[in-house]
Amino acid sequence: MTGPAIAPAYAGVDELRRVARELLESGEVRVIIGWEDARRGARPVFITDPAEADKLIFDTRCVHNLVTYLDPRRDHVSELGRIGLVVKGCDAKAVAGLLRESQLSRDHVVLIGMRCGGVLEEGELPEPLALTPENVAPRCYGCDNREPTLTDHLLGEPQPEPPRPVMTIDERVAALDDLPLEERWAFWTEQFSKCVRCYACRQVCPLCICERCIVEKTQPLWIESAAHPRGNFSWNLTRAIHLAGRCVDCGECERFCPVGIPLSLLNRKLQQIVHDRYGYTASDDPENAAPIGDYRLDDQQEFIK
Amino acid sequence: MSRIGVFVCHCGENIGRTVDCAAVAEALKDHPGVAHSEDYKYMCSDPGQALVKKAIEEHNLTGVVVAACSPHMHEKTFRRACDQAGLNKFMCEMANIREHCSWIHEDREDATAKAIDIGRTIIEKVKHNRPLEVIKIPVTKRAMVIGGGIAGIQAALDIADGGHEVVLVEKEASIGGHMSQLSETFPTLDCSQCILTPRMVEAYQHPNIKLHTWSEIEKVDGYIGNFEVTVRKKARSVDLDLCNGCGDCWAVCPSKRIPSEFDAGLSNRTAIYVPFPQAVPNQPVLDRENCTLFKGRAKGLKKDACGKCKDACLKNAIDYDTEDEFVVEEVGAIVVATGYKLYDVGREQPEGLKGYGEYGYGEDPDIIDGLQFERIASASGPTGGEILRPSDGKEPKTVVFVHCVGSRDIDKGMAYCSKICCMYNAKHAMLYKHKVHDGRAVAFYMDIRANGKGYDEFSRRAIEEDHAEYVRGRVSRIFRDGDKLKVWGFDTLNDEQVIIDADMVVLATAIRPNDGVKELAQKLSCSVDVDGFINEAHPKLRPVETNTAGVFLAGACQAPRDIPDAVAMASATGAKVLSLFSTDELEREPAVAVVDERTCIGCMRCALVCPYGAIEQREICTVDGQVCGHTAYVNPGVCQGCGTCQAVCLSNSIDLQTFTDEQVYSEINALCMWE
Amino acid sequence: MNSQHSDTFEPRITAFVCNWCTYTGADLAGTSRLHMASNVRIIRLPCTGRIDPLFIVKAFERGADGVIVSGCHPADCHYTSGNYHARRRFAVFHDIMQFLGVDPRRMTFSWVSASEGAKWKDVVNETVANIRELGPYEAYRALAPDAVEPWPEAVDGLTPAGDQEPAAKEVAS
Repeated sequence: MTGPAIAPAYAGVDELRRVARELLESGEVRVIIGWEDARRGARPVFITDPAEADKLIFDTRCVHNLVTYLDPRRDHVSELGRIGLVVKGCDAKAVAGLLRESQLSRDHVVLIGMRCGGVLEEGELPEPLALTPENVAPRCYGCDNREPTLTDHLLGEPQPEPPRPVMTIDERVAALDDLPLEERWAFWTEQFSKCVRCYACRQVCPLCICERCIVEKTQPLWIESAAHPRGNFSWNLTRAIHLAGRCVDCGECERFCPVGIPLSLLNRKLQQIVHDRYGYTASDDPENAAPIGDYRLDDQQEFIK
Repeated sequence: MSRIGVFVCHCGENIGRTVDCAAVAEALKDHPGVAHSEDYKYMCSDPGQALVKKAIEEHNLTGVVVAACSPHMHEKTFRRACDQAGLNKFMCEMANIREHCSWIHEDREDATAKAIDIGRTIIEKVKHNRPLEVIKIPVTKRAMVIGGGIAGIQAALDIADGGHEVVLVEKEASIGGHMSQLSETFPTLDCSQCILTPRMVEAYQHPNIKLHTWSEIEKVDGYIGNFEVTVRKKARSVDLDLCNGCGDCWAVCPSKRIPSEFDAGLSNRTAIYVPFPQAVPNQPVLDRENCTLFKGRAKGLKKDACGKCKDACLKNAIDYDTEDEFVVEEVGAIVVATGYKLYDVGREQPEGLKGYGEYGYGEDPDIIDGLQFERIASASGPTGGEILRPSDGKEPKTVVFVHCVGSRDIDKGMAYCSKICCMYNAKHAMLYKHKVHDGRAVAFYMDIRANGKGYDEFSRRAIEEDHAEYVRGRVSRIFRDGDKLKVWGFDTLNDEQVIIDADMVVLATAIRPNDGVKELAQKLSCSVDVDGFINEAHPKLRPVETNTAGVFLAGACQAPRDIPDAVAMASATGAKVLSLFSTDELEREPAVAVVDERTCIGCMRCALVCPYGAIEQREICTVDGQVCGHTAYVNPGVCQGCGTCQAVCLSNSIDLQTFTDEQVYSEINALCMWE
Repeated sequence: MNSQHSDTFEPRITAFVCNWCTYTGADLAGTSRLHMASNVRIIRLPCTGRIDPLFIVKAFERGADGVIVSGCHPADCHYTSGNYHARRRFAVFHDIMQFLGVDPRRMTFSWVSASEGAKWKDVVNETVANIRELGPYEAYRALAPDAVEPWPEAVDGLTPAGDQEPAAKEVAS
């Protein structure tokens, strides 16, 4: 049996190492946050020593959205000093989100953007694999930001579109949409009933930035904190709508969910809603106003009597 | 532990007929936290209120629920009663069992059950009410009026006469506005200058009025009672303290061919100039864009290309090196009276509007707009009041007046009626006929809208006594044919095409909001309507107020207005400002949003949705003064209590007093706790 | 609720309304003596802008069979723009709830002005009729943790004998 071919690293890794080294040497940044090759696969790495810049990699295993380290809740990261952050296109959108919501000062971070041709669904592999319909992260298909614009350094070469996954997220959302209401309800309540309320989805999300999440507010207790279906429904619904018009589709919540709730379907549905109703697509332009918090006099209101 | 008193009102038979009030009082007596419950025939009567007061004292109540009519009806009454009995009035709420229950249901059992539910809901809410204090805001008793046309002058005079200082800001070099350009005014045909000039002088000399001409609003900070307005005093190059307005400067100015704004481009002025002879202040301004010296400087000439006016000035009042100055004025109220401009009929239009290329405006000098006709008809105008056409100075024997040019034309981007054109067209036709007796005045109109005192009589006079020919219909094209202007129109009453050989055509162009109004509105946190006029707070009941408390509207910045309307609005704003200034402190209901700084992360989504601009970002510091973050801050003087901020706050770190999350949560819970 | 003298299902409906338009419109319905179904309990808020989707979720959690959200018509908002923000918020909420399998007829959104007492009556009666047809919201109640007795017996008694529970109950538990 032959599995998918081993893929070479994406173009620009040498440049990435050189830029990282120079940034550290010149003192322009105190730390570079990127990916390194660990025994079991790619993983995030913090590099403060210029000599270690050669550890950096960029290939199809670099699935992690490192923007989550810029989250103001992680002040132990910002205490390190000015950050050099390696970003893919989807990650850059999250940086724009933080800037939009005054959670980040643009001066605090140097963005090293990588031209990206998609990543694997699972990055814990000893070698990077070539993307196939079976192993590609479904969200990469149709990505509109393979070349990030919100960057200080843009490295690599233009990459071809990633392969079409066996079933795209849009197709899965459409399949759910085609089900009768009761079956959708059954599907989601079953999925949510698996939730153990570990809040990994929230912790890893680069845009879940609240210091005190609403779920931890007890007076009043809007969302029941015990892991039972009713509280789980409220939590998963609330998490999703809090990201309506903010989600950048980096897929980290679903990847981190230990019980495999298909959160990307929920996220994608919300992206579709804000796109269809308000023409909004997440981008890495911080000036692109989010749809919630804005309005037009002639917004659709077919659902209102 | 709450000790709540419940008072169920029969409202005579109004509630008692369908709701078993005694049963309601009885059922609510056992509700957790209720210390006292009773019913009474007329709770709002003096004996009824006495029951409430007595119970507060006897049972040491911490909250009061009056199950009676709508809070819109008697909330104030019962809150006052609580206040008198020593209970914080915000601990009292109404349970609406009349409008929302007894009056809309017939079944006694159903209605009684529902009334009990409603009572429980409000009891649960009151358990989470907090004693609140009325918010008091100090008032700076000084007003600013933006715009020195007739509306602004009137507002300034009314406030100044009321004994308060007024800062009057005008962007042109002189106050007076459009009214100073008019020849005579409808419906009395008195001379515009004759009635306006005394007002201008009065405003100028009024001890309470401080005038900033050639000035614009740079920035507005603060809120009702406490605005800080930064005024940009544009560089005038003339020291108003030294200048005596002698005119030596403009006599020597070499740039003499600059179209005069005051004469609507029908005459020329110099680069250093007074806009018109009756200007207030009657001192010149140097128009740097058109001045030889400044044009030379802009080109980078080492040596100044001119300097004649400075040499001519014996008072040494001219200084070419002055720069824009910024003055901060502290005021308690602002009146906006920025007026209008005319729709520019030509082909070139700003976004959202379309022009009338087919009318030839701007391409043929004898096709003019209403303000240009005013100047031609004015004794102080370029023709000395003789009706002469611009192209060759001949007396036009046939003049066509076209109504509704732009106005009521959705296709051109203006759906509204400009209100004043029907009247000024009638006036123009009259003035023309009075001066050119053998002339022919033809007016193409859609409808005659003459709805003011003496207005219809006036427009009828134009037709019946002065024999203006009114043709009901639109004009399709105007074009030059030799010495004549061909006007193609359609008479819809006779169903026939009309072609008129005219000598001059006057277009009654639409009234548009003045330039820069939108930006000004933004600075004031006011909104503008689809046409760009500033929105009033309520179209019927608060016509001169805006949604920004302390900012008022006078004249055509709000909608097209004629002089009587503008003056009436101005005096209305005067009354509003004076009533605001009649107290030292404003009292506001404490229904305002409050930020929990412990959990707010300063994402400022709340500020994005606040209709009043009440939310700003504030730095938070550690004990040793280090900035360690930022949070949102709601200015209680500006917040109106809508709560939109709260619903967008992801971490629920903002709470609207009187409708807090805990209160709403308890109400929702109450609806299913006790069956 | 109204079940004491009736065997039919009586829907429990919670209405979140703004103070200036719909609440006043409902007052007008009262002043005009417009009789309507008695299943709706109103919670007054200053503006639709204040209404958080969590209010609706909580109402369902607490056993509401249906919810009404109503405020000022566009351009009539007492606070200028609260209803415009609410419109976007609830459009998104409406769509996502439907995606999760919530019947949109469980949630009525309406604009009712202070002069539309008659419209308020229609909104109330139509919503009650819709919910009556849909039956009690057993599917949502089935999410409740088993250990806790979430609603008093009287509510359970609302379900007509022999009424089939929706399929979702088994799935969720």
